[in-house]
Amino acid sequence: MIALWRRQRRDLELNEELDAHMRMAIEERVAHGEPREYAERAARREFGNLGVVKEVTREMWGGGWLERLVQDVRYGARTLRRSPAFTIVALSTLALGIGATTAVFTVVHAVLLRALPYPRSDRLMLLAYDFPNSPFITEGGISDRQWADARSRFRTFARVAAMTPGLVTLTNAGDPVRLQEASVAAGLFETLGITPALGRTFRPDDERIGGEPVVILGDALWRERFGADSTVVGRPITLDGVRHTVAGVMPPRFAYPLDARLWRPLRIQLAPNRFQMLSVVGRLRDGATRAQAIAELDAFAAADRGRDSVVARVTPLKDTVVGDVTRSLLVFAGAVGLVLLIACANVANLLLMRATSRRREMAVRAALGAGRPRLVRQLVTESALLWVAAGIAGVGVAAAGVRALLALAPTGRIPRHGEIGVDATALAFALGVSLATGLVFGLIPAMRATRSSVRDALASTARTMTGRDGRLRGALVVAEIALALVLLTGAALMVESFIRLRRVELGFRPAGLALLTVDLPPSTYPSSAAMQTAHQAVLDRLGRIRGVESASAVNFIPLGGAMIRGDFKVDGKTIPPGYLVAKPSVAPGYFRTMGIGLRLGREFTAQDAASSPPVAIVSQSVARQIWPGTNPVGRRISNKDVPGPGDWLTVVGVVDDVGQTSIDTHREPAIYLPIRQLTQPFFLEHMSFVVRAVGDPARLLPAMRHALRDVDPNQPIGSIGTMESAISATVAEPLFQARLIAAFSVVALVLAAIGIYGVVAYSVAERTHEIGIRVALGAARANVVGMVLRRVLVLVVPGVTLGIAGALATTRVLSSLLFEVRPNDPITFTGVAAMLGAVAIVAGLVPARRASRVDPLVALRAG
Amino acid sequence: MAKQDRGLTRIELLQGTLDLIILQTLRWGPRHGYGIAQMIRASSRDVLQVDTGSLYPALHRLEKSGAIEAEWETSENRQRVRVYRLTAAGRKQLAAERSRWEQLTEAMTGILAPPVPEAET
Repeated sequence: MIALWRRQRRDLELNEELDAHMRMAIEERVAHGEPREYAERAARREFGNLGVVKEVTREMWGGGWLERLVQDVRYGARTLRRSPAFTIVALSTLALGIGATTAVFTVVHAVLLRALPYPRSDRLMLLAYDFPNSPFITEGGISDRQWADARSRFRTFARVAAMTPGLVTLTNAGDPVRLQEASVAAGLFETLGITPALGRTFRPDDERIGGEPVVILGDALWRERFGADSTVVGRPITLDGVRHTVAGVMPPRFAYPLDARLWRPLRIQLAPNRFQMLSVVGRLRDGATRAQAIAELDAFAAADRGRDSVVARVTPLKDTVVGDVTRSLLVFAGAVGLVLLIACANVANLLLMRATSRRREMAVRAALGAGRPRLVRQLVTESALLWVAAGIAGVGVAAAGVRALLALAPTGRIPRHGEIGVDATALAFALGVSLATGLVFGLIPAMRATRSSVRDALASTARTMTGRDGRLRGALVVAEIALALVLLTGAALMVESFIRLRRVELGFRPAGLALLTVDLPPSTYPSSAAMQTAHQAVLDRLGRIRGVESASAVNFIPLGGAMIRGDFKVDGKTIPPGYLVAKPSVAPGYFRTMGIGLRLGREFTAQDAASSPPVAIVSQSVARQIWPGTNPVGRRISNKDVPGPGDWLTVVGVVDDVGQTSIDTHREPAIYLPIRQLTQPFFLEHMSFVVRAVGDPARLLPAMRHALRDVDPNQPIGSIGTMESAISATVAEPLFQARLIAAFSVVALVLAAIGIYGVVAYSVAERTHEIGIRVALGAARANVVGMVLRRVLVLVVPGVTLGIAGALATTRVLSSLLFEVRPNDPITFTGVAAMLGAVAIVAGLVPARRASRVDPLVALRAG
Repeated sequence: MAKQDRGLTRIELLQGTLDLIILQTLRWGPRHGYGIAQMIRASSRDVLQVDTGSLYPALHRLEKSGAIEAEWETSENRQRVRVYRLTAAGRKQLAAERSRWEQLTEAMTGILAPPVPEAET
């Protein structure tokens, strides 16, 4: 600060000193009899360029590199202020590029790169057994029995803890609400290395069956529902209708597993017919390796039962938390990196053009003794200044960008989103990227600008450029076109894939359907009969709503994210090994309501109840697979491994196949059961009510809410909405990916177009003289346009060629994100190349038309 | 062209020579920048014209190195001027540079004189 102030005073003194010199020179000439006016002019001429003299003198004060840097920065800032148009264009281009890159980096860093927020989190592992030969598709895990056997025997782990996620209803604390919870073994928090903000963690005796129900609250839940009350520990809250005592509150941002809002102790009741899969997390003992842990797990399994199809798996916890979002985040990072490169290339181009027109300035300064390193340093400082300013602006862009990214991203699809924010690392990244790109992209123009000899520069006019500069600028634009083409191709593939996804035939008519999903807590509804009564009461009320054509229910709605799958037995036949079918259970009128075609037989009716003979409906592909060419109605199947006499279900109908799990897997075989014949409450807890509306289904939603509240005012709604919006939600992720890449590629396209325009416009401007001569000599306007467009083609053709090659090489990384589109789809490639070519020609046409209107007289005089 | 030649002359004068001339000029007493320029011109019989673009950087450089010091004074026609004077260190530097210059001219004379006494142009 003091140094700066002293410097300012010195500047003023220098002004005064030089001013005095000038006045004395004039006075002396006047004293010798020269007329004052003449004396002034002569003295000024003799003095030379005042600004430059000051500049060079100031350099003598020099001092430390810091002072010189300040000097360079001030000079650079002055120069940038003097050409606001250039500065604004360059700044905003760079701020956009750096900001977008920083935003994506922030997300990538928080999700993929940064360690989990637990101490020594690299030692945390997820333990599981896989069953590669099992007929069931499972994610693997550790069974409750294995956990009970093994938990105290681990040698390779210092601590282990099991858990299982679930849903629970909170009442008597505001509106009833359905919350993500986790049942966890005592020691989970200690394993992770997390201490509670309030109260205590779970103790081994909390796991005792019949012990006092206790709960630990997450920070967010504690704030939302309990007003961040620090006396909440020890107080009762109601979960699924049962009083629980609050044992503790977790610190902010802690959420494990998944998005758990609260935790309850895991209470395992081993029973012959019960089987529960658990996730087990462990902290490796110091010195123990992953391989040793796998060996130990394998040994347990072998001792356990000697089953050969069990494979032990030990995965770093971070990999399991981050999961499948890795690829799409890396694709975004690549895309935004391309945008940044294009932005930098554009600004480098601007700098090159500017350098050409500043060649005289450089020459004069060189003639006055500024060495080339000095000039290069000055120019690089100037561009670094530009880049850093853009980096600072880019941080603002990034903060907004991160918010937009998280807002646009489908909910729940970005893991660890609580940890994401523009932090010091992101700031450092933004500045690092700005400085690095600034130095690289600023150095090239600086070297160019200062290379030519003083004599050449002074002799030539400021407007001419050497062929070398033109080639370099052309090369930059060619690179821009190629990069933009790569991005556009990727975006086009994603959009194409998304369109195909939306055109998939689902096997039912989603238009006109509304959907209400509830999870009945077993504590309030202890038997299947109680649940069935509640379902019927809701169905009756839904059926009476005006504007409802029909109402029905299904436990696992197509595309609802959950589905039961399994094998079955056929009377008198064996099914192919590994043949699995979806097994939804439905209320009467389900197929009519959903618009699923009934091919043979009948639907379920109110008569298919607990007391009547058990029945089933199969989908067409089951019929074709099991009873090819014959009518399956009247045949018998069973869901039991060894069916007793009462376990056989009679097939009463055949319906169309439906896409059950997700929109991008094909329609699959299914066996439907009537919900009233189900006896296990587990299959009845989760239920989706569907209504077909006469008009707009969205209008029915308030009445549907009301119907549920009528039946049970304490029952929260799991989800409610139209079927079409539910389907949109399932494709939200591909939509998000397609949108984001498309946005990046549009930015890239615009930047590339600006780049082309800039280079062509510049070459037209400097050839105005030549064009003038041509027009004067009788060249037709069309010839002039053609001449300029040839310059455009020289840029476009290699750019597009390189771009196609680059796209062919890189779009392969997209293949796992694409649906029914091959990453080298020729139609997409041709279309994108044609579009980019068209945009390039339009960008070149503007200056070309201007060139054709050149007035030869004006042009020649200007030359 | 002319511009450039002047640049070359100046560059040759720069550093050693110009410093020596300035120090020598200040031996006769404190002087402001314009006075120094006039004095150099007069005492070299108009052969050497130091342009301001070299003079002031040199003055400020010498000031920074401590060979000369500067002070604001009021001139005869009541104008505030920055006056430079030789310091003790400056005197020492002048003596050293003078003897180096003398050695150089002696050597140069030695090289140029004996064989063919060619006329200088």
